[in-house]
Amino acid sequence: MMKQLSQRLLGPVTLVLLALTFWLGLWITPPDKIQGNLVRLLYVHPAVAWVALYVSFGTATIASALYLWKRTRSFVVDRIAYCAMEVSVVFIGLTLITGSIWGRPTWGVWWAWDARLTSTAILGVLALGYLALRRANDDPALRARRSAVFAILSAINVPIIHFSVQWWKTLHQGATVFTSTRTLLVHGSMAWTLLISFLGFTLLFFWLLRARYRLEVQRETMTSATLDEALASRRSEGAF
Amino acid sequence: MGYVAAGYAFAFGGLALYALSIWWRGRRGHG
Repeated sequence: MMKQLSQRLLGPVTLVLLALTFWLGLWITPPDKIQGNLVRLLYVHPAVAWVALYVSFGTATIASALYLWKRTRSFVVDRIAYCAMEVSVVFIGLTLITGSIWGRPTWGVWWAWDARLTSTAILGVLALGYLALRRANDDPALRARRSAVFAILSAINVPIIHFSVQWWKTLHQGATVFTSTRTLLVHGSMAWTLLISFLGFTLLFFWLLRARYRLEVQRETMTSATLDEALASRRSEGAF
Repeated sequence: MGYVAAGYAFAFGGLALYALSIWWRGRRGHG
């Protein structure tokens, strides 16, 4: 009952939170003293990056680890890993694009070979590599095992991205929302809008993952039905 | 405001297009 209700509410709640982010971010929150209206990108770029690096790539990594662990091995977790990785590619791409759009007026350049930007771009390439690897293997068990290992190895890059602003001198700023001393540097309507944006984009990930998962199940069912049909047709021709 | 508009357009528009692609692939019966 609760599961059904939460599944039904996922879409509408996501839409409401994203609409609120859009409205509050563009019209209600005040411009910043230094950045002016550019600060409004704060309600888009960090939330999208959060989903790209931690939520979607994290889901793909955990699902991959669950597949490799014998006790939890199933094609359900393999499918979740695949679908989460596809969604991750979209979010990583949008992280790079929105970051670049913010970088041009603040840093003066669209792109810099900065540690955080470069490591995020590498993660995007690795996520694309994962999708390519899946297409290169036809045997489902082999494909699941190989891609799970690849996903886990790729995830090593996530903490590198996270700490890149501390380990190297970067153009990209360090922690803003929560500093290392856990002090909140954003206040009032700006803090609320930021929180809503994080919630909205996170729920959007789960909504997209669910839709993508259903599509994958549909595709697998259709492929197997087509195969059965082809076999039956060959049998009727007396091929076997 | 041009950069802000572009940022919002890419983020919200990009995700909407991706959602649409999932729906469209489902309708066509292709994964």
